[in-house]
Amino acid sequence: MEAIDEIVAEFLVESHENLDQLDADLLALERTPRSRDLLGSVFRTIHTIKGTSGFLAFHRLEQLTHWGENLLSQLRDDKIALNDQRTNALLSMVDAVRGMLGEIERTGVEGDADHTELANLLVSLMDDGDVRQAPLIPEQATRKSSPDAVDDALKIQASGHSGEARRSVVESYVRVDVELLDTLMRMVGELVLSRNQLVSELEDQKDTALARSAQRLSLVTSELQEQVMKTRMQPVDTIWSKLPRVVRDLSRQCGRQVRLQMEGRDTELDRSVLEAIKDPLTHLVRNAIDHGIEAPEVRVAAGKAPEGTLLLRAHHEAGQVHLEIVDDGAGIDPRMIAVKALERGLASVAELERMSPREVIQLIFLPGFSTARTVTNVSGRGVGMDVVKTRIERIGGSVDVISNQGTGSTFHLTIPLTLAIIPALTIGCAGRHYAIPQVSVLELVRLSGERGRGGIELISGTPVYRLRGTLLPLVRLDQQLGLVPVDSGGGFIVVLQAEQQRFGLVVDDVVDTQEIVVKPLGRHLKSLPIYAGATILGDGSVVLILDATTVARRAEVLASTAGAASTVALDEPITIDPVLVVELAGGRRAAIPLDMVTRLEEIPQASIEKVGGREVVQYRGHIMPMVRLATLLGAYGNDGEELDKVQLVVYTRGERSVGFAVDRIIDIATERPGSRSDIDDHALLGSVVVGERVVEVLDVQAAVLAADPVFYREG
Amino acid sequence: MQALVIDDSRAMRAILTRLMMGLGFDVVQAGDGAEALALLEGGLMPDIALVDWNMPVMDGLTFVKSCRARAYLRGITLMMVTTESEQNQIVRALAAGAHEYVIKPFTDEVIAEKLAFLGLVVAA
Repeated sequence: MEAIDEIVAEFLVESHENLDQLDADLLALERTPRSRDLLGSVFRTIHTIKGTSGFLAFHRLEQLTHWGENLLSQLRDDKIALNDQRTNALLSMVDAVRGMLGEIERTGVEGDADHTELANLLVSLMDDGDVRQAPLIPEQATRKSSPDAVDDALKIQASGHSGEARRSVVESYVRVDVELLDTLMRMVGELVLSRNQLVSELEDQKDTALARSAQRLSLVTSELQEQVMKTRMQPVDTIWSKLPRVVRDLSRQCGRQVRLQMEGRDTELDRSVLEAIKDPLTHLVRNAIDHGIEAPEVRVAAGKAPEGTLLLRAHHEAGQVHLEIVDDGAGIDPRMIAVKALERGLASVAELERMSPREVIQLIFLPGFSTARTVTNVSGRGVGMDVVKTRIERIGGSVDVISNQGTGSTFHLTIPLTLAIIPALTIGCAGRHYAIPQVSVLELVRLSGERGRGGIELISGTPVYRLRGTLLPLVRLDQQLGLVPVDSGGGFIVVLQAEQQRFGLVVDDVVDTQEIVVKPLGRHLKSLPIYAGATILGDGSVVLILDATTVARRAEVLASTAGAASTVALDEPITIDPVLVVELAGGRRAAIPLDMVTRLEEIPQASIEKVGGREVVQYRGHIMPMVRLATLLGAYGNDGEELDKVQLVVYTRGERSVGFAVDRIIDIATERPGSRSDIDDHALLGSVVVGERVVEVLDVQAAVLAADPVFYREG
Repeated sequence: MQALVIDDSRAMRAILTRLMMGLGFDVVQAGDGAEALALLEGGLMPDIALVDWNMPVMDGLTFVKSCRARAYLRGITLMMVTTESEQNQIVRALAAGAHEYVIKPFTDEVIAEKLAFLGLVVAA
């Protein structure tokens, strides 16, 4: 029967809402057991569920809530006091009720779960005596109601009754079906696309009246978009409100004392984002209690208060939401993580030795790290740290952890405000257009002509670009997408951010920045992680939206645990100098401090000339002095064999340059901190350990002077 | 004829609304006694009000008392909707001026009977 289903649906929705509130009320009651308001509120909720379930013929539900109501009545009338036992019993009842509601939702009937024991408990807790049997409440027959009668009573009469019940006019909030909101959002998306189209077509419009109208339309559309997006926004409290219960139950289960604090409960996020982070967040909370906060005795022994604090913080910043889960527990022990990583074969000893404590902790996010999937009672689903990371990243967010042994851990989530309409950069590559979400874009660099193209250097086959002193790994988009490159006479580098690292995406054109509507990909393209969706531009063309992180991962420009250019450890105050490792004759290697390297060139042997006993080379319209490092450092090998190309490491200072010729350029690496030792030798500063080898460090100044004795002189 | 259904539970209001509509009434809803009173003071003149006992802001008993205290509202039939655990409250309600009470869950037959008894003829 349609009518009954609607009402049952309403009953379920309302009851779930009330039960959530009830959980919160019961927990609040634990701290203020005599609050009449709270007791009254709890009583009313159970009372309502009991009354309504009678009408809907859910008699088991009716019975259970009947006993709960009786107990609450005693509490409300101050005949008995609220203690731990009673609170637990009531919470158990809430769970049982939820269970039955779930059954009703799934099957339409209450199910067979036996709650006799619980009922007995509720009855016996009504006074301070012994456990008693809970008598069944009076049979239906005496109350003139039966399931059929109720059915009949609720049947909609034929024709005639089209009247709607009028709602009270006093409400200032309305309930709107979620599907309707989604439809509204979709339609606003279409409107934004149409607006974009109109604006692009009117770009050269001379008719000012038309242009003004278009502008007005554009403004109104933007405002509408903003407002509709607001309807999708819900406070993060929507998911946080369930946590006090989870924290309480789990603390007891694990034998911990945990105080939950929440800051920024009314920070708003888009509905779909909230839905996506619900499970990961719950897992992080569970993790903090299970593994983070220690047992009270352990805490006291460590000089901490026996009660641990779990703090949830949320705030907006720069178009994103920042969520923190902070605990004052034991922190994460990098050694334990390292051991586990080794056990699971996720990293080698060498790699682990190279990593900073902070990097080691990041290993917990690797798939396969935790094989013990926690299956919870509350959520009933298994989630691991790697799944947390994947889920957050899937919606365009990121997760990070900072931990200090003995003090605690902080998990930091950054998530976008909304997924539906985002600002994006449109770029051109190999004759096609793509969109990149603005949130990933840091800056744009134009490569034009010689200077531009010349700025790209090759380090052992990997293109990099020197951007204000630091080297930026580059990815050619056409290569990544398997497109035929087009000579655009320059191009651009889009500096992107992925996983807190930067890299440059080489494209042909930068077209525009605009707000685009993210449309989900069709079935066939959905499984390609490199595309985050698609959109329709103002000119009607369909473009794919790129996912910066996937692009970077594919091109392997993100430093992994086995990466070449490792990231600088943030919590160690040791300066690690990157060096360029080169090979001289005879396999001998030298390291040149990277900040002394301006560029790398490959020149034909033929262009080297001897002038007055020195070798020089034609370089960019000037004569540049050079020195062969092999000769300088006394390295021998390949005697007499001249290669027809020479690798030149160029050092420029002001207007002057010198070149160091080497056999091969090996790589960029970081020297192991504290490994430099002094050598008393000409043109060498010392030796340093790079990777697994000992390499000599070039004294650049000496080498420069060897090439050009007057280099540092004025004039 | 018009009925005013007062209950803080949406589901309950929906159930009672359908029930009363089935008996031929137009139905107006209110979420608590204060809302209902505001509607009445604003000019609503239902023939009958189904009043829940337990509501936030203003409960059923207070609502009944307020109604009876206002001369222009005395024409409205007040029917308390209660559960059998509140039977001992019935006396108080009747003393405060409620005309009738009905114990939930009930059927439309029960209501029709009571309404007939009150002189309110309903559609078959």
